[in-house]
Amino acid sequence: MDAISDMPLLEVERLCVEFDTRAGVVHGLRGVDLSIRRGETLAIVGESGSGKSVTAQAVMGLIDVPGRIVSGDIKWKGQSLLTGDGPKRAREIRGKEVSLIFQDPMTSLNPLLTVGAQIAEVLQRHLGMTKTQARTRVLELLEAVGIPAPPRRANQYPHELSGGMRQRIMIAMAIACEPQLLIADEPTTALDVTIQAQVLELIAGLQETLNLSVILITHDLGVVAGLCRRVAVMYAGRIVEMGLADDLFERPSHPYTQGLIRSTPRLDDRMNRLIAIEGSPPSLLSPPVGCSFRARCPIAVERCTEQPPLAVVHPGASAACWRPSVPAWQESPPLEAALT
Amino acid sequence: MSAALSLPPLADREPVLSVRSMTVEYEASRGGLWSKPSKVQALRDISFDIRPGETLGLVGESGSGKTTIGRAVLRRLDLADGRIFFRGRDITNVRGEELRKLRRHMQLVFQDPYASLNPRMRVLDIVAEPLIVYGIVKNADEARDEIGELMRLVGLPRDAHDRYPHAFSGGQRQRIGIARALALKPELIVADEPVSALDVSVRAQVVNLLQDLQKELGIAYLFIAHDLSVVRHISHRVAILHSGRLVEIADRDALYDNPQHPYTEALLSAVPVPDPRTQRARKRLIYRGDIPDVAHWPSGCHFHARCPLATERCSLQVPLLINKGEDHKVACWHR
Ligand SMILES: Nc1ncnc2c1ncn2[C@@H]1O[C@H](COP(=O)(O)OP(=O)(O)OP(=O)(O)O)[C@@H](O)[C@H]1O
Ligand SMILES: Nc1ncnc2c1ncn2[C@@H]1O[C@H](COP(=O)(O)OP(=O)(O)O)[C@@H](O)[C@H]1O
Ligand code: SF4
Ligand code: SF4
Ligand SMILES: [Mg+2]
Ligand SMILES: [Mg+2]
Repeated sequence: MDAISDMPLLEVERLCVEFDTRAGVVHGLRGVDLSIRRGETLAIVGESGSGKSVTAQAVMGLIDVPGRIVSGDIKWKGQSLLTGDGPKRAREIRGKEVSLIFQDPMTSLNPLLTVGAQIAEVLQRHLGMTKTQARTRVLELLEAVGIPAPPRRANQYPHELSGGMRQRIMIAMAIACEPQLLIADEPTTALDVTIQAQVLELIAGLQETLNLSVILITHDLGVVAGLCRRVAVMYAGRIVEMGLADDLFERPSHPYTQGLIRSTPRLDDRMNRLIAIEGSPPSLLSPPVGCSFRARCPIAVERCTEQPPLAVVHPGASAACWRPSVPAWQESPPLEAALT
Repeated sequence: MSAALSLPPLADREPVLSVRSMTVEYEASRGGLWSKPSKVQALRDISFDIRPGETLGLVGESGSGKTTIGRAVLRRLDLADGRIFFRGRDITNVRGEELRKLRRHMQLVFQDPYASLNPRMRVLDIVAEPLIVYGIVKNADEARDEIGELMRLVGLPRDAHDRYPHAFSGGQRQRIGIARALALKPELIVADEPVSALDVSVRAQVVNLLQDLQKELGIAYLFIAHDLSVVRHISHRVAILHSGRLVEIADRDALYDNPQHPYTEALLSAVPVPDPRTQRARKRLIYRGDIPDVAHWPSGCHFHARCPLATERCSLQVPLLINKGEDHKVACWHR
């Protein structure tokens, strides 16, 4: 199969999503732009509430009352999924050409059906397989996601499996129809670290063998580093930085990205005091005017009361900041490790 | 005001807490109405010390027994076997008024800053509660100055006093929980995943705060976490728990730079490093199989089903935690 082709598979353009709540309108997404090509891996990182899941849900057509897409577009292979006969096409594509896995597999598995029956159901519904065909394919899929003793496991119920195994079942279901795009929303957040490593290895392997495009949503910079070629950093409903992973980790442009990287302790690090980004993200009920990071940004200037556009900083990297690449945080002092 | 400075070097300090051969059992859920209640062993033969002003990081995967260790140390659970000493005194069986007095000196900080604060109490009342319970002040208003000082210590605005928990972010709520734990000037704080529920950018605030408080007040921490990067950052020594048993305990750098137990190696290599080039170059040991469950601990070494070095002996005999280097204990037949 071809590797990364030039034609974008998915394009999200200036997408805005709002939620009506008792407290008022929550501006969940405030103009998100992203695109992914065939065979590409993109990570979306950001803290809780930054809009990662809403982005995934919008692509999957899962935004429901009290939420609504207020503007922008979502295109699949160049054609809108929101306008014209888009919504009809969207229903055919979702679950088949694009599939989603969630953080907590328990919420998306049916507790009353064996896991084998659930995967078979997807195959029968989307691919029109017969029962017998589906049964054979289920065993192949379980094998592909590294589940030991597939015939036995296929007959078990979700609660009889460990968290790591359930996540493998979800992945088996997600790849059942050989999708072109897999969106994984915090797929390993609920898992222990050794099990996380197994699942990430599985996703990376499938990505390569099936030439899948993968959007990996996570708040863990370590998970990004292992799996993705490109990274989008979200903050308060917007993408604030986008670039190639190698480059972005080495020379982050946006003050938020700079701070995020240096507030994350590293397993292999010498002991410096962590950079603490004071304060917390703004409420999306009444997002601040101008740059959303302004209240926490050490290098904010007058101009930051205007919203900075996501603009190219250097080849392959863009940031939404008026002062990109200016070092925002002082060198942190080394920790006197022991108290001796 | 630096209590820590007046203390002798860490290695020479008498432990504030010593745990010896501690075993803890839970009632297993009953199979049927008539079956005998059986017991499951959540912890087996656990021993460790914590010295004043020291942080012992306790790491293990879900269900390994970290919280159970914390609860047992705080005497919220009885032991099936073993002893616990606090400042040299055997507290294994203290009860009633004695236990109440003891608890002043050992406090708990919880994982979930949302569930652990009473939403109907003002911050002032929340932080003052332990002082009132121990009869140090009669009411919260009497403690205003003292609590103002605590607020300053944990970096909360002074006007936080009269607000309710919902008005604070996760990181600020965790500061409130810490202020409350500090009110009685404890010598030991058990912090059970205190930053796990916080966002990355906020986590660093709380980690820095805990480090500053230790330096200023000389408190000892039992710091429970599953995030090995945070543990490396904050701990002086680190203990690795696997399925109810300690498998390795050592100085922080010895453990991270030179892990001995095969499970510790697997655990460390599984942690992704937030740097793509480094991460690609790292040696990763990904062992198949799941973490055993408390009701079905295997015989012998609990890690044997996943361990690449396992021999027959490993599935029959339990390896003891013994010294393999200076203050570096490992429980493995082949290391
Ligand atoms: N009250 C209880 N009754 C029976 N079993 C229990 C009880 N509390 C805990 N256990 C079991 O004891 C074992 C250790 O539990 P514990 O909560 O200490 O684990 P942990 O290491 O803190 O896990 P986590 O990382 O998920 O918080 C688990 O297998 C758990 O299911
Ligand atoms: N069903 C909903 N009702 C109201 N607000 C919502 C809903 N779903 C998401 N939001 C809001 O949208 C914003 C982005 O949420 P989300 O995408 O879930 O964040 P995350 O980056 O943690 O995945 C948050 O402010 C969140 O509170
Ligand atoms: S636009 Fe201004 S406030 Fe925003 S991140 Fe850049 S410098 Fe900071
Ligand atoms: S005792 Fe045996 S099974 Fe256990 S860790 Fe050591 S080599 Fe592996
Ligand atoms: Mg989410
Ligand atoms: Mg726990």
